[in-house]
Amino acid sequence: MIAPGIKRGTAELAVLSVLEDGPLHGYEMARRIEEQTHGSLRFTLASLYPLLYRLEKRGWVRGAWETSGGGRRRRCYRLTAEGKKKLAPIRREWAELFKALRRLTKVARA
Amino acid sequence: MRDWRAFVEQRLAGLALEPKERAEVIAEVAEHLEDTCDEMLRQGMTEEEAVRRALSQAGNWRSLQHKIVSAKRKEEVMEKRIRQLWIPGFLTLILSMLFLTALYRLGLRARLFWSGPNAILLYAPWLAGLPLIGALGAYVSSGAGGSRRTALFVSIFPSLALTFAFLFMFPFSLAIELIVGRPVDFSGVATVLLKDGIGWILVPAAALLVGGLLAHLLISARASSRRPAIG
Repeated sequence: MIAPGIKRGTAELAVLSVLEDGPLHGYEMARRIEEQTHGSLRFTLASLYPLLYRLEKRGWVRGAWETSGGGRRRRCYRLTAEGKKKLAPIRREWAELFKALRRLTKVARA
Repeated sequence: MRDWRAFVEQRLAGLALEPKERAEVIAEVAEHLEDTCDEMLRQGMTEEEAVRRALSQAGNWRSLQHKIVSAKRKEEVMEKRIRQLWIPGFLTLILSMLFLTALYRLGLRARLFWSGPNAILLYAPWLAGLPLIGALGAYVSSGAGGSRRTALFVSIFPSLALTFAFLFMFPFSLAIELIVGRPVDFSGVATVLLKDGIGWILVPAAALLVGGLLAHLLISARASSRRPAIG
């Protein structure tokens, strides 16, 4: 189980990454993240929407109301050009961190 | 079937947002709860259990309301500009003027850089302290989230203010001279403008900028050594 503090740090990366594949509404986004991380990352309504609104305010994602096949109106989010640009350095930072942690744990085991 | 929208509207009654934005948030949260509840029902839960599980997603409604409002609230552009530009800018200006006054009171006078008709008056002790003041302005601006350009602009703010004062003062005094009917020596005015511009604006601006650049380099180096951060 991943501790909440670490999850908070990964939340932006998770949302931006899942939106890279295409626009999604909040519920579907949370479901995909949970599915793709095999349940390690789980977004609740209370953690997802404030984050989405913050990302929207920064201009990294854009939400727009769309009507689905069943006639339900949902707010779908898509990654903006700025969001795509931000995703690369965030990924790099996390990759650096994982590499550093791997090195550290190897040293600790040696 | 439960009216999720009415339910959410009641729970988020204190959502302090514009009416359109508020309605959108309520609709979006209601859709999410409905989707969650439908999924639970599909998994074979009773309606009561499905509703309970869906509601557990929201946690504390008051806290959710607070989180949404603070995430949605647009920071006023003016407020940001005041914190990143005007406050540190005027702080730099005031400090540089106080420093100049203090040096003057201590009896330290400006020196001629070289003798002759085109001598430029430079206030060396003042110039020596300006990098520190420029660095402080850049540091305060960066600390308030200012960009590199803003931080450097803040560091040379005293020189920009002096430029503005010069540009305003000279045409104004020329106009007064013309009104009172005194002959104006335009070449003399141009020479004074150039010499004072170098001694009181360009050279101090360079000193301030050196401080601003050093502070910015220091802040950038510190920020990059802190990355990556968790949480």
